[in-house]
Amino acid sequence: MRRRGSAVVATVLLLAITACESKSESDGEGAPAASTEPIVVGSTLSLSGAFAATGAIHKIAGEQFVARLNAKGGLLGRQVQWVVRDDESDQAKVSTLYEQLISQERVDLIIGPYATPNILSAMAVAQRHGYTMPHHTSVLAPLMTYECQFPGWSIGPKPNEFVPNQLFDAVASLPNPPKKVAILTNQNGSTDFVSYGSQSDQTGAVSIAKQRGLTVAPEIRYPPSTTDWAPLAAQVRDAAPDLVINHGLGVDPVNLLQAMAQLGYKPPLMFSLFPAPGPPLGLGPAAEGLLSVTIFEPNKSTLDKLGKEATEIVEEFKTRATDAKLPYTVFETQAAASWTAWEILVAAVERSGGLDQKAMCDKLHSDGADTTFNGHLDFDPAVHNFWRTTQQIKQIQSKDWVTVWPADRAAAKLQGPPAA
Amino acid sequence: MITIQSALTGLLLGGLYALMAAGVSVTWGVLRIINLAHFGMILISAYLTFQLASDWGLDPILTLAVTVPAMFVAGGALQWAYDRLGISELNSLLASFGLLIVIVQLVSNVWSADFQRMSAAVNPYATASVGIGRLVFPVTTLLAFLVAVAFIAAAELVLRRTFAGRALRAFAEDRTIASAFGIDHRRLGIVLGGLSGATAAVAGMLFALANALTPATAFEWFGIVFAVVILGGIGHLTGTLAAGLLVGALSGVVSVLLSPAAAPFVLFTAIVLALLLRPRGLFVRAAQ
Amino acid sequence: MMARGLVGIGLAVAALSTLSLYRETLGFPIAYLALLTTALFWVTQATSWNILSGYSGYFSFGQAAYVGVGAYTTAVLFGRHEWNFYLTVLIAAGLCAVLALGMGLLAFRLRSLRGEIFALLTLAVPFILAALARINGSIDGGQGIIVAIPDFPAALGRFQDFLYLITLLVAGIAVAVAFVMAHSRSGWALASIRDAEDVAEALGVATFRHKLWALVASAVIGGVGGSVFALQIGFVTVDSVFSLTVPLFVIVMSVLGGRTHWFGPVLGAVLVVLLQDRLSAMALLGWQPVILGAVLIVMILVAPEGLYVRVRNLWPRSRGSKTPPADLSEVDEQLSVVDDSVLVECRDLSKHFGGVRAVEGLSLQIRAGELVGLVGPNGSGKTTLVNLLAGSLRPTRGSIHIAGRDTTGLPPHRIAHVGVARTYQIPRPFASMTVRDNVAMAVLFGREPRRLAHARRLAAGHLAMVGLDHLGDAYPSALNLHQRQLLEMARALATSPKLLLLDEALAGLNPAEIDNAVEVVRRIHASGVCVVIVEHLLRVVRALATRVVVLDRGSCLADGDPETVLSDPAVVRAYLGKRAHA
Repeated sequence: MRRRGSAVVATVLLLAITACESKSESDGEGAPAASTEPIVVGSTLSLSGAFAATGAIHKIAGEQFVARLNAKGGLLGRQVQWVVRDDESDQAKVSTLYEQLISQERVDLIIGPYATPNILSAMAVAQRHGYTMPHHTSVLAPLMTYECQFPGWSIGPKPNEFVPNQLFDAVASLPNPPKKVAILTNQNGSTDFVSYGSQSDQTGAVSIAKQRGLTVAPEIRYPPSTTDWAPLAAQVRDAAPDLVINHGLGVDPVNLLQAMAQLGYKPPLMFSLFPAPGPPLGLGPAAEGLLSVTIFEPNKSTLDKLGKEATEIVEEFKTRATDAKLPYTVFETQAAASWTAWEILVAAVERSGGLDQKAMCDKLHSDGADTTFNGHLDFDPAVHNFWRTTQQIKQIQSKDWVTVWPADRAAAKLQGPPAA
Repeated sequence: MITIQSALTGLLLGGLYALMAAGVSVTWGVLRIINLAHFGMILISAYLTFQLASDWGLDPILTLAVTVPAMFVAGGALQWAYDRLGISELNSLLASFGLLIVIVQLVSNVWSADFQRMSAAVNPYATASVGIGRLVFPVTTLLAFLVAVAFIAAAELVLRRTFAGRALRAFAEDRTIASAFGIDHRRLGIVLGGLSGATAAVAGMLFALANALTPATAFEWFGIVFAVVILGGIGHLTGTLAAGLLVGALSGVVSVLLSPAAAPFVLFTAIVLALLLRPRGLFVRAAQ
Repeated sequence: MMARGLVGIGLAVAALSTLSLYRETLGFPIAYLALLTTALFWVTQATSWNILSGYSGYFSFGQAAYVGVGAYTTAVLFGRHEWNFYLTVLIAAGLCAVLALGMGLLAFRLRSLRGEIFALLTLAVPFILAALARINGSIDGGQGIIVAIPDFPAALGRFQDFLYLITLLVAGIAVAVAFVMAHSRSGWALASIRDAEDVAEALGVATFRHKLWALVASAVIGGVGGSVFALQIGFVTVDSVFSLTVPLFVIVMSVLGGRTHWFGPVLGAVLVVLLQDRLSAMALLGWQPVILGAVLIVMILVAPEGLYVRVRNLWPRSRGSKTPPADLSEVDEQLSVVDDSVLVECRDLSKHFGGVRAVEGLSLQIRAGELVGLVGPNGSGKTTLVNLLAGSLRPTRGSIHIAGRDTTGLPPHRIAHVGVARTYQIPRPFASMTVRDNVAMAVLFGREPRRLAHARRLAAGHLAMVGLDHLGDAYPSALNLHQRQLLEMARALATSPKLLLLDEALAGLNPAEIDNAVEVVRRIHASGVCVVIVEHLLRVVRALATRVVVLDRGSCLADGDPETVLSDPAVVRAYLGKRAHA
């Protein structure tokens, strides 16, 4: 009896499944909320896990931005509320959480998470729902294929060419330009890309250096999990290059410089791609002269050019970061990228005059956006919306980061190695 | 020359691995507790070292005066709790994993998730080194090596020469027999937990000397530390030391001769081979 | 039982699939579908882990290896080279099977493999594979791979629907496999391995084969799950799939849910995923992991055996505990005619441990009708001889023939199938099974295997033979030493042996218990089983044995009928004399 009963249920279910409803493609997004309700922006950030060190900066910058925006009357006359979830640096969680934010909590707007893998996961969800998604920091331009994603930090459509060329141009201006370079690459998506290009375009720092007639030695790729830096340092010391290029992340350059210092060696010139900005400053003389990239450094001359508001933002950020116990409280690249992404979102809403995702995306493509730290931005879907870069080269001079290249926008002069 | 230098620095760094692994090995081998919270204690010690040195301008090594007693108490208390709650070997892995998650997040709430690093002003050891000819001994890892050797040698002496040591070994072999000889396993467990906490304090200090701290680091230690613990033979301190040094030296050499990316490949393949040939741990005598 | 369970799992899958198929009619939010997809991914992985590690007790830290191989197979072949997605899932399954076979053949061949060693071997594998992916540019090379959306029937709706349904299908199959394994011979075999592996082997369980297949099943399921996971994350990097958090979470989920049961991992996975989701929805930034960790600790304390067991115990069911009627027919059928044929033939048998010669040049014949008392001072090689006969040890030199077959070097379970059974000095019952199932287990895997129901009836008969029939439903932990030793004998008998080796089966008993045990041994011998009993008590040997063999320093000192041998001056000097003056 019981068995027959379950067989009947099974048959019914099976029939039901094979019948299957036909789904309309309409999104069924809720009716626009009453205009007095706040506009809700949803996103995740890596507040714990491997990416948390930088996630913390984006959280502070975002909170500060939203507070300022609301103080000035919000968006379309409505207040803005930011719903941020911790994705724990886990890609799978990023997709689930964005799915929830969009289809469950029906947030009005979204903004990207932090770190390239997470952004790619979020982008897929945004694309499926047709949401416009500005994001803070993604370097792998060739992979950012969705036409309504808008980067807040751009190294142009080809970072793998731009970064090395900019660096080599900069050091070529020195009285004794380097002839021999060491290239040490962290095997992480974005850093590896700048050294070696992608599957389809294998141009990168290594090939460009050779093209420019530079000797590359040694050329080392290391995994992100590297703990023993002495072998790298020893190889660099014995090769004695004129310039050490470290396409690394976080504290890689600090570990390298320290390992080299322990071996009694300091490279004449060293460049590091995406370091955490604070720790090298704590290294003292060993890190003096270190080069890196930036889209913004709050150097006095730069701030003077940008005006009062930029100075206020920088100072307020310092206060908030100090309250959050961040060790390095300067408003620089990461925070500026975050700020820019938020400004792109605001521009999209204000210029389209509403919250229609498609219209926002179209308006950004047609009109671009105005930003505090990067000026006017134009987005061309043909190059994945990666706008003309404002990236500069910075250097540690007298224990502080200053922009040194391109010369016309620099706060100080690029310094070569002290004469031997 | 580079190869010798790398083998040497790797060997010294291996001392740090051994020191991190010693506490895990002892509690696992003797008390049957797989204590992942040990990594949390190392993490907290590292942050305390950073905090005390940066705020009070204390020499980072002197912070041990605070962290060692603190971690001794913490480790002992933890062991007391495991014992009182009657947690089994397997469940200790899970419960301490839960505890580790809590610790990592609390550390993150207190010190932020961003990189914290002692500045050169308070930490003169980071870039210092001792040289003999062309060979260089970095002070941070040299310290780790010396401490590891001294600690493990002392522990072995205690185990072999003293009554408490023999009691401990009896306890590791068979709990019921040990209790028949009047060994109070509770008190012994607490002392042992405390001692392994103390090693966590030292390991944390040594880690902070040479590295930037971020809470997620605690999870990155898992692979190498467990490799050292099992390779050395669970509960065997000399084996742990030898395994740590071997692992350090081997990855240093492979990094130079092949590439740093190949180091984990060669290292873990070597571990697999070693286990297949010496399944009781590399340095444990077969007869047992 | 099995059919009904499978229909149940099928129904559950069907019911869950309607959430997507009728999503709009039901008004089921697509976000929950995404959440369920995540939960189902973990259900698959936790179940995969549990099939090997939960059932057999061999803890694996290598779950990330399967997820990684699966995800990278799909990422490289489908994502980069645009092969058919479904084909890549099959290839992933194949690659994981090969990986598992390799691991299993290496690890399980080790005679002295211990749990920790297996754990470290599995811990090492993901590290090796991750490094391989990093080194090899045609796999990854460091940058990660984008995985596009594969073709799927438009009728399914959105990509999220498709992803949910395919993940559900994989999870359903995984759970069904785990269910079938739990309720088949393989489940019994794995449980006995978890409880006491060498005992199981000696009872006739082909432990190597069962472990190997469990490992392969686990790997294939994990790999297929990983392959689909590549679609879910859309961008595969070494860090996202080979990370140590995968095995840690899988272990947490399975153990939390209850690792000895097929449903435990399902419960654990769903619970952990929902808990994480609720915590993140509460937006307790900075406290979410603290609460998660605390909840984990509390749950371990509240339900150390797993939540499933805890929940099940809340509703005590009388689990159909009708005692099956004892089936004595086959037990009594055996001939009680004295059989004079040679059953055991050892020729020039030696076993050395390093420099110690435990057995040296021993030649011995035992006839089928005999009850041999094996005596000798401590360290004379009695237990070593038992281990050699049962196959737990391989001889250094010499040969053993049992029932006309050369058993030298055969694995113990094959020797068990030839007709050798043994007991242990310290009884080692399967702790997770009832007394009756301990015995039924031996029937299931013995020389004449029977189906479970029949095996349980036979088991009752064997229990009656040793006088434990009233304790069939008890668990071994409730038995005293004497009863455990009787259980050992009943279990050994259940394999229908020709030769029964009793290794100090009477040690530690009081005089009344000894008399009872002697009676039982006599009954067993009378039923036509040849018995070799290792015993210190000469009173017992005298009373029982038809023949006594005295070993001294690994060689035969005396051999013959009890009265003659035990009064032999050499024996008295070597053994009895020492004792008498001790």
